[in-house]
Amino acid sequence: MLKFLLRRTLQSAVALLALVTVVFFLARLTGDPVDLFLPLEATEEARARVAAQYGFDQPIPVQYVRYLGGVLSLDFGPSIFQGRPAIDPVLEAFPVTLMLALVTMSIAAALAILVGAVAAYRPDGVFDRIASVVTLIGASTPDFWLAIVAILFFSVSLGLLPTSGTGGIAFWVLPVGVLLTRPLGVLTQVVRSSFLNALSAPYVRTARAKGASTRRVIFVHALRNALLPVITVAGDLLAGFLNGAVVVETIFGWPGIGHLMISSIRQRDFAVVQAAILVTAVAVFVMNILIDFAYARLDPRVSVRQAKQ
Amino acid sequence: MEYRGLPRVIAGPAVLAISLLAAASLHAKPVTIVVDTEPDQLDPCQIDKSQVGPVIKSNVIETLTEIDPFDGTVLPRLATEWVRLDATTWQFDLRGGVTFHDGSPLTAEAVAVSMRRTLVPELSCESALKYFAAIKLTAEPVDDDTVRFTTDIPVEILPTMMASVGISSLATPLNEITRAPIGTGPYVLSEWVPGQRVVLSAYPGYWGGPAEVTGATYVWRQDSAVRAAMVAAGEADIAPRIAVQDATDGSMDFAYSNAVTTSFRIDGAIAPLDDVRVRRAANLAIDRDALRGTLFSAEAIPAAQQVPPGATGYNPELTPYAFDPGEARRLLAAARADGAPVDTEIVLIGRYNIYSNAEEVVQAVQAMLADVGFKTSIKMTDSAEWFKLALKPFAEGRAPNIFQTGHDNTMGDAVFTVPAKYASTERQATMTVPELDRLIAEASVASGEERRAKFAEALRMIHEDIVPDIILFHMVEFARVNPRITYVPNVSTGTALQLRQISFK
Repeated sequence: MLKFLLRRTLQSAVALLALVTVVFFLARLTGDPVDLFLPLEATEEARARVAAQYGFDQPIPVQYVRYLGGVLSLDFGPSIFQGRPAIDPVLEAFPVTLMLALVTMSIAAALAILVGAVAAYRPDGVFDRIASVVTLIGASTPDFWLAIVAILFFSVSLGLLPTSGTGGIAFWVLPVGVLLTRPLGVLTQVVRSSFLNALSAPYVRTARAKGASTRRVIFVHALRNALLPVITVAGDLLAGFLNGAVVVETIFGWPGIGHLMISSIRQRDFAVVQAAILVTAVAVFVMNILIDFAYARLDPRVSVRQAKQ
Repeated sequence: MEYRGLPRVIAGPAVLAISLLAAASLHAKPVTIVVDTEPDQLDPCQIDKSQVGPVIKSNVIETLTEIDPFDGTVLPRLATEWVRLDATTWQFDLRGGVTFHDGSPLTAEAVAVSMRRTLVPELSCESALKYFAAIKLTAEPVDDDTVRFTTDIPVEILPTMMASVGISSLATPLNEITRAPIGTGPYVLSEWVPGQRVVLSAYPGYWGGPAEVTGATYVWRQDSAVRAAMVAAGEADIAPRIAVQDATDGSMDFAYSNAVTTSFRIDGAIAPLDDVRVRRAANLAIDRDALRGTLFSAEAIPAAQQVPPGATGYNPELTPYAFDPGEARRLLAAARADGAPVDTEIVLIGRYNIYSNAEEVVQAVQAMLADVGFKTSIKMTDSAEWFKLALKPFAEGRAPNIFQTGHDNTMGDAVFTVPAKYASTERQATMTVPELDRLIAEASVASGEERRAKFAEALRMIHEDIVPDIILFHMVEFARVNPRITYVPNVSTGTALQLRQISFK
């Protein structure tokens, strides 16, 4: 297992190096951050001074080497706009996104397994048809529209929930509700398809022949095998959330990593952009390792080594 | 409105109503303000930045003077009086009995150090870059209550400019940006949770006595619809800068001038735009009434100059060009007959999101220009490209262009607009008119009625003789105000939302 971890870490280090390099150069293609930092009335001298202060006057290769040196010591330099180390806002924002992503995916996965399994047990039945329509609508509804409509209905018209912000459980309802509609729709379809395959497998027929109850057939015999593709899709969706649920974070005022990245890109706050992308990339790497272990745990035929080969 | 969990919320309307009544009676004094952007800093020298000023200017950090939002006059704040000793020296008397939030007294030394700090190059303070870049200024205490400012050139409006200089405690680090401002204002910064909220609480030692509002929580939501919804739901008391399409409730939504003027700069150095008849024709082609109430707010004021009404030097005699496509066509024909290459394609350079509906405005202007015979194309730019095109040095061999822009002047004097926009030595002007340069230079150092008259004449010359731009509107914004409070949004709302101006009904 240690060898596996070591190999994956080395592979990921190469990928991360490529990523930070691409991000470094792409960020600089967006233009000069000094233009946005200083007012239009600022003199050429002031622009030159700020450029020198943050090292933007140096040749790009020199900036790149300095940046790589800083990354190794987790020093991404100062945020030009916030006047503090760039890693600080990133480390404040990432846990917010992580929590939102984990809660949303947990609820989405649990609901998808329940709905998908029941729908698959009687394919083309009433429940299956209703579930298909509802989940397809959920998967294709634009989240920015749903978010605004939800705020106007539940918060302004009914006064039941806070419009936005962070706090107790009530503050989670709308963001999580909006955020989970798409993964819930996608996952339900995956679970249904996966269960249909599992329920037609010989071991399920054997279980039924032995007189096992419907609940036992679904949730004991079929569930474990049906979960493998679900984990793959859920992992992809979770990786997307870790990069930031930008729309939901922006509309509901959640101070997450997606919101931070977008505002930093707009401001051309290079140091924050680079730090945020590296932190999320590392998080995705860690999550992939965990998925590998989950695979091995669920399917004894798959060892950790095989899972990734 | 406070939410402590779903179970309580769904416990029943009666519980909710009782909670609201209790909250109203027990916590009536603090307010919540929802702005569009989190402050990136709260440094005293950045109070003129749009995301900093509304939170701390005049609330936490005060200035020697302030600008009356309704008539543009200079009012005393931390200074009670000021006098010009000679052409380059001003002396300010400080208010007595004022203390900073750390308990130290307001002294001339603190004012002098605050001024010097504002000018420290490494801090890139907004007011230093905008207003003091061309001036060498020294600040020296005369005694504990008197401070003297000396400049290398005559500065007629130093009292006005002092409204942009935040005065902070001597404990403020001189060469570093601070996120914990220590001022003399009626409120103390008591909490800043990055990404979530800034909280101000009343400063009991404030020289002006207690205010009705005992504290304020600032939160930020980027989406205008959400900001408006927060006030409608009772979660916030004021939401400045909500979009016109979200200002749908006349009982809560108030229009106010934001001192911004929208315009298109005409590149008068390139043919055919170097012909004043062509520039005038472009102005006559614009139907401002068609733009107002559609792409611009119905409350926007058609403009003839970039200086906003009420500012020193504003010329009330000027009227916007009337929509006259017939006269525009006649002027173009005359220019064409004299050899002007009127059929050359002119590039309309727009900027995404410079204001609401910016791209649509460019398209509408293109259609209006085409209607009188202009040939144009559109080039939309992001802020990076726009900045490069806005300033000299302009590219050699560039196409003739008409450039979408906007300008704000919250300081109440034409000097903050006219030189930067029209003096040929500055970086935004496309044309060189020696007579205008001379007039601007004279106006900038004149005072009183002479100053007002010279700037007014400069603006007349710009509008009627030179025609270097198409001025569109003095803009308005909307603020949504909770019916439980009384607050009149004004031109300073976007730069200094003073909590002391709020009262409860």
